[in-house]
Amino acid sequence: MDGDARGFRVALVAGELINPPDGGVDALAVLAQEDWGAIQLPAAEYPDDVAEPLLEQAAEQAEEFARHGYTLALVGHRDGLDEALRRYGLDTPPAIEPGSAEDLRAFLGALAG
Amino acid sequence: MPGVAFVAHCLLNQNSKTDGGARCPGVYSPLVEELRARGWRIEQMPCPELAFTGLNRFWAVKEQLDTSAYRRHCRRLATAVAGAVEVHVRRGDDVVIVGIEGSPSMGVHITSSDPTRGGRPEWPDGSGELSPGAGIYMEELTAVLAERGIDAPRAMGISHQLPDHDAAAERERLAALIEG
Repeated sequence: MDGDARGFRVALVAGELINPPDGGVDALAVLAQEDWGAIQLPAAEYPDDVAEPLLEQAAEQAEEFARHGYTLALVGHRDGLDEALRRYGLDTPPAIEPGSAEDLRAFLGALAG
Repeated sequence: MPGVAFVAHCLLNQNSKTDGGARCPGVYSPLVEELRARGWRIEQMPCPELAFTGLNRFWAVKEQLDTSAYRRHCRRLATAVAGAVEVHVRRGDDVVIVGIEGSPSMGVHITSSDPTRGGRPEWPDGSGELSPGAGIYMEELTAVLAERGIDAPRAMGISHQLPDHDAAAERERLAALIEG
């Protein structure tokens, strides 16, 4: 991949950590610093009929990365994700519910090896 | 008033780009910084090409992707996103769309077009395929929103894959978009 800057690391991230409240863990900022990409999971506030197809699409895209050997992680929690991943033949990747940006940075660093 | 920006998948995940297209390892920070600085919420749209033609896809122009099957695929993805857009519009949130200029799928004002391209790949220098217009996913998203009685949100495309990309000008356009 000459001239291509991808990091080959992708995190499934709870919507609440993409758009954190004041003082919350800003997962997107840490991912950017640690050279990870993000697949956003629908926030819990969305009704089920809105969230379910979005969750399905997140799992569908995760499967394509897994198939090509990219490192996957889960940051935060999303009801229904485990089942959606299983429909695509995937186990839930290594996961963290980060209490701080430092927690998340250490977790991602360990996965990146 | 801060609102909600529905952004192209690759702006949060450059790993989804076609080989050779990733500009940074993961998150395209200029967009995130600009939205965050203004208090905007970020919602990521799916990458239609990633799920349909995969990570090993070739660069393509709009005509190569514009099949009934790909339209149905984009309609499926756009329908899911339109559901989320509708939640915010009905709530009174300001909503904008941020796509990718030059993309056959995610272009907002510039897509790529070459009716003759096909067969054994040849890689032209330059970007002669750039063409005014929207990509296929953006056309389907606009159509689905119209079916729900929702006017197309203000929209722009990030231009980092265009040969005349100007990062400062892009930030100014983004600021103008979200300020309405």
